[in-house]
Amino acid sequence: MDKLTIAMPKGRIFEEAYELLLQAGFDLPAELDDSRKLIVEAPQEGFRFILSKPMDVPVYVEHGVADIGIAGKDVLLEQARDVHELLDLEISRCYIATAGLPNTEMDEMTPRIATKYPEIASQFFRSRGEQVEIIELNGSIELAPMIGLAERIVDIVSTGKTLKENGLVEYDKIADITSRLIANPVSYRLKQQRIDELVKRLRK
Amino acid sequence: MLIEMFEKPLGMRDDFPSIVKRKSKLSAAGIKRMEQYGYEMLQTPSLEYYETIGKISAIADNQLFKLLDNQGQTLVLRPDMTSPIARVAASKLLKEKMPVRLGYYSNVFRAQLREGGRPAEFEQMGVELIGDESIYADAEVILLATQILRDLSIGSGKIVIGHTQLLQQVLRGYGLEEAMVEKLRAEMVAKNKVAYENLVDALTVGAEEKASLKSILNATKLDEWEPWIDRKDAVQLSLYEGMRRLKSILDRNGLEPFVTYDLSFTSHMTYYTGMVFEVYGEGSGFPLGNGGRYDGLMKQFGLHVGATGFGLRVDRLLEAMPAEVQQAENALILFNENNEDLAHEKAKELRKSGVNATLQFASAVNALDEFSSLFSQVIRLDGGQNG
Repeated sequence: MDKLTIAMPKGRIFEEAYELLLQAGFDLPAELDDSRKLIVEAPQEGFRFILSKPMDVPVYVEHGVADIGIAGKDVLLEQARDVHELLDLEISRCYIATAGLPNTEMDEMTPRIATKYPEIASQFFRSRGEQVEIIELNGSIELAPMIGLAERIVDIVSTGKTLKENGLVEYDKIADITSRLIANPVSYRLKQQRIDELVKRLRK
Repeated sequence: MLIEMFEKPLGMRDDFPSIVKRKSKLSAAGIKRMEQYGYEMLQTPSLEYYETIGKISAIADNQLFKLLDNQGQTLVLRPDMTSPIARVAASKLLKEKMPVRLGYYSNVFRAQLREGGRPAEFEQMGVELIGDESIYADAEVILLATQILRDLSIGSGKIVIGHTQLLQQVLRGYGLEEAMVEKLRAEMVAKNKVAYENLVDALTVGAEEKASLKSILNATKLDEWEPWIDRKDAVQLSLYEGMRRLKSILDRNGLEPFVTYDLSFTSHMTYYTGMVFEVYGEGSGFPLGNGGRYDGLMKQFGLHVGATGFGLRVDRLLEAMPAEVQQAENALILFNENNEDLAHEKAKELRKSGVNATLQFASAVNALDEFSSLFSQVIRLDGGQNG
């Protein structure tokens, strides 16, 4: 049996995704994440898990060092990589939205948007015919409007709690986000049977 | 110590001698095979007009290297070989010899936008068979492409074949609006099964049609295409029959275990009008090459003839080729001022017997041991000891 290399996002999504695999009846060790290992083997199923940052999953898959992977739709939208998007796993549900301080307008001359998703943000505003300046941040995006770096942010919203606690309100919803099963185009063809089988079991 | 770096532009690579050696073997094998099949090798210029080649080529505009000539015309470094060859074929000279079989082995240029790990200049080899609309021409290029892979000992390959026109006809057969057909096709190009299924779910067609539309993404065998073919539609029927004939030719040539028939495999380029295919091999995470029938491209050059062909990426073939086991023999002859003529004599002998011989004046080498270790055989005429 060919070994199947699976890129998994570390952290929040990992547990939900791993649970899905267990539910689908795959014979896997009960715990994986508590080790500091980056590569974990599951020899009974012929799986090798690569544990990576969520943003990096599509990179490993596109370059073919991982055959398949589990990636958030937010990351896929942002990076537009050449991979097969095979299945909506319907886990880690959230959405991308614009937010800002209540009752504020965007600056007319130089509207500024702070975000971790520069591509999604610029596409969204371009589609509305608005020309904006994007400021890329790596975390705690909510800070930006509070201290006057930008009028709006584009970020993930799951419960809206973080926005609320920081006195921000949501303005436009951009896209719904869930985790997806993705595959490298070459692996998809060379290991199609195994991958199709896996998709079928996860669908149930 | 601070090391001074002499950098090169993003995506540009140096080929070191070991790679050059493998490449020249690869090109010799490929060219020989193409010529054996009756293809004549052609070279076209590195620079072309943006207006003709740049716009027509399958490569996205922001991936083109553009420059201005001294007349202010925009030029591009050729991003592919298919469109330059179509340009040549449209010239009067070749029109009279149709069908014409042309082959190429050339470097092409595509700017890299995001990150490393991908070359911006790489070699491609392939063929174009222009002026033949038959299924036999399609079969010929697929057989030739796979023969070249076999010549290069790439055993673990796989081919996926689709058909752009048949796909379009089949989708239209569900009574969908043209805009929706385009949307569904676009999701297939994007390899986005999730978005495709969501689009189908939102359609106003019956449950049976929905299931049928969804199944288009799952076929791997040609027989599985049958339920989608409208028997009353003459166009669909004849295209499907054509695919069956193509399959029977490929099967008879032993390709059956390697071919997947996936109707949803298609291209973003609208000039592909018939069967399209892509080739994969273990060892490379990216396709080794692709091809198909592109009658639409010839029309853009005012030529109403059929054309089919393929291109293989040399850099990816190198990744998928098994590593060389046998190293060629190379000898080092170290000489001093008293025996330079003897050294020449010796070198001549070795070269005659097929050994590469390097002549080196011994005193000019600083680290003799390290230098000598690069050779399989060291002959010391300079009076020193081996070792």
